[in-house]
Amino acid sequence: MNELMIGNYAIARGFVEAGLEIAAAYPGTPSSEILPGIVEFSKRENAEIHCEWSVNERVAYEVAYGAALYGKKAACMMKQVGLNVAFPAFYNFKHHEIKGSFVIVSCDDPGPQSSQTEQDTRMLCTFMDVTCFDPSSPKEAADVAYFALRLSFETKRPIVIRPTHRVSHSREAVPLYRPGKRRVRLKEGLISKGKTAKLGIVASGMSFSVAIDVLTELNLIRMIPVYKVLRVHPLDTKVKEFAQSLQKVLILEETDAVIEAKLNDSKRVYGRLNGFLSGAGELTYDVIKEAITSLCRDSGIEVQNEIDYALEDLSKTINIVPRPPKLCSGCPHRACFYAMREAFPEAIFPGDIGCYTLGIPLGAVDTVVDMGGSVSLASGFYNVFSKENRNIPILASLGDSTFFHACLPAIYDARKKNKKFILVILDNGTTAMTGMQPTPQTGITAKGEKSRSISIEATLRALGIENIRIVDPYDIPFVINTIKEAHHHLQKGEGPFAIISRRECLLLSKRRFEVKIDLEEVCTGCKRCIRYFDCPSLEFDEKEKKVKINRDLCVQCGNCLYVCPAKRKRLDSL
Amino acid sequence: MRSKGLSIEIICAGIGGRGVLLASTLLIDSAVRKNVYAIGSDEYGMSQRGGSVISQVKIGNVKSPIVGKGRADILLGFEESEFLRNVSYLKKKGIGIVNTNKSEIDRKVTDALKERSVRLYLLDADEIARREGLFLASNMAVLGFLSSLGIEPLTYENLKEAIIYRLQGKMLEGNLKVFENGYRKGLEILK
Repeated sequence: MNELMIGNYAIARGFVEAGLEIAAAYPGTPSSEILPGIVEFSKRENAEIHCEWSVNERVAYEVAYGAALYGKKAACMMKQVGLNVAFPAFYNFKHHEIKGSFVIVSCDDPGPQSSQTEQDTRMLCTFMDVTCFDPSSPKEAADVAYFALRLSFETKRPIVIRPTHRVSHSREAVPLYRPGKRRVRLKEGLISKGKTAKLGIVASGMSFSVAIDVLTELNLIRMIPVYKVLRVHPLDTKVKEFAQSLQKVLILEETDAVIEAKLNDSKRVYGRLNGFLSGAGELTYDVIKEAITSLCRDSGIEVQNEIDYALEDLSKTINIVPRPPKLCSGCPHRACFYAMREAFPEAIFPGDIGCYTLGIPLGAVDTVVDMGGSVSLASGFYNVFSKENRNIPILASLGDSTFFHACLPAIYDARKKNKKFILVILDNGTTAMTGMQPTPQTGITAKGEKSRSISIEATLRALGIENIRIVDPYDIPFVINTIKEAHHHLQKGEGPFAIISRRECLLLSKRRFEVKIDLEEVCTGCKRCIRYFDCPSLEFDEKEKKVKINRDLCVQCGNCLYVCPAKRKRLDSL
Repeated sequence: MRSKGLSIEIICAGIGGRGVLLASTLLIDSAVRKNVYAIGSDEYGMSQRGGSVISQVKIGNVKSPIVGKGRADILLGFEESEFLRNVSYLKKKGIGIVNTNKSEIDRKVTDALKERSVRLYLLDADEIARREGLFLASNMAVLGFLSSLGIEPLTYENLKEAIIYRLQGKMLEGNLKVFENGYRKGLEILK
């Protein structure tokens, strides 16, 4: 029986069929759907699998590792930068023998599409000598997950699966088996023979699948031999033999040059290390097509590839509305960011990672480093400013999930050293950016059952923070006043000062409001709302030189009324 | 289950949070349910935050879900500017369907597409969806319109079956209506 699913669900399916007993994860795109997949398949198969969202990746790693040490079949899931958070455990225990099995799924993000950086998990596995698989499709990812959990049990060593987002978020029909009965078909080696010895391809992951399609299009599938690598580390010695049998070898892999570096053959090998392909970015269809075409021509292999660039050139000359991601219409974060900028436009705004990174265009996020970085950076800024006797307000922002994930030691540290900055916790009650996973405050488990809720304010108090205010971000004047008071207080009192901006995520609640939005009537065309509020429901009509409300998107929260100078005047006089 | 000979490559281009992924899933469904191989690649992450989203679908004798420039048989523009942004994916003699309330889109693009014998259809899918009180269902109107072209396996019957399989209750009822109205609009234009 087949079922249509994305790669992340396919991985979950493979695990459940292989008898997984414990799963722990922290959500992060592109990995977030694996744990919900395990929850779903465990219910369907009536399998007893303990599933939990951990507070961060290191905890997820260690929870699974502990269970594996004891003899259970365990797995943990995260995105590539999440593995950095789990690095101490990953590094220290790479060669410890386990009694059960332990598989780490770390999803990479070539491009990157939803991360700050590209980072190659395979590189880390090579460096640390941990077995690593690089699946090329959802179907294969299911087989790899099944196989890896069993292999780990046999070898007593941790195993890493590294899918890229094109595997995690591809959708195809995946065969389902009863638990323990999966027919695994792992393909590695010379997949497509090819007549010529002039040029061959070594490819892994999604790049392999794309290469096959490109060769089919160019009518070269019977001409150029293709070697598929599934296990990147340890690399089969046959890859080297294959490369040595050819005059030129093109290496297609994402994101770093891992296989290429292992082949260590700068004369015949073409890839990212020798500069033939760009050292970063996704290997798209077009990149691969051009690479193959150009090497074919160099090698005297006939190839028909007439690319029509005219449409692409044309689309660059026409006026297309830019569409960077934005906070949703009515997002409580937007209101809070607006208030922060209004209160102290001259402030420095250390920011963090989540939906609220989108505070950048609102002028209320200046720095984004890693999860929790907002707090420690604010501490650092304070050190410098106070030494230079400069009274620059510091407004650090972070989300509720990030608060628990990475901020507690930093907050405690800042409190102990009396760092004077304002900590704005944007609390929308969920991990919104990655798909509404619960936070410790939500009090719901990964399986949707009730559990203990940990309060942010109680945690802050326990960390020694005495000054805590809870505000409704929709009350913009009140938030502005609270921020000003906090700054005033910090002149004499102790720091940091915490403001919890609390209102539910609108994606979750799907709420709409009933405030009358009549901006169009008073609009003078000043564009202040567009510049400083950046709501997707506000559109500027260049012909009429007036703002227009997109009524389909608008949730009628009324926050934009504070932003419009014409409207605000009236509000102030009320 | 590779299907020898047949190959259709589709780009679904739109804005985050407005059903691009559902539309592409339905396209894959309608093929897979007829035992035709299909694979798609979704882009998400910040996709729910109103950014540009494209979903690629390949049906038939293919291995990867990734579409090259100038390779798409069909470009579904769930929003006009997203259609324009991705127009370079369209192949010669391909099909473009654009959700727009205008009677014509950028002249230069229209001319270039005509030169390449692309069949271009403009459709006010938002209006069709809004008439059923479902602003977010314009994707269904676009799919309905596509189904009126009768391209195997993306036919009216197959897509409808896929919608019934995927959606439930009230959602199904409304979406199906929009889909059918899109289909009828297609039949009208094609007459």
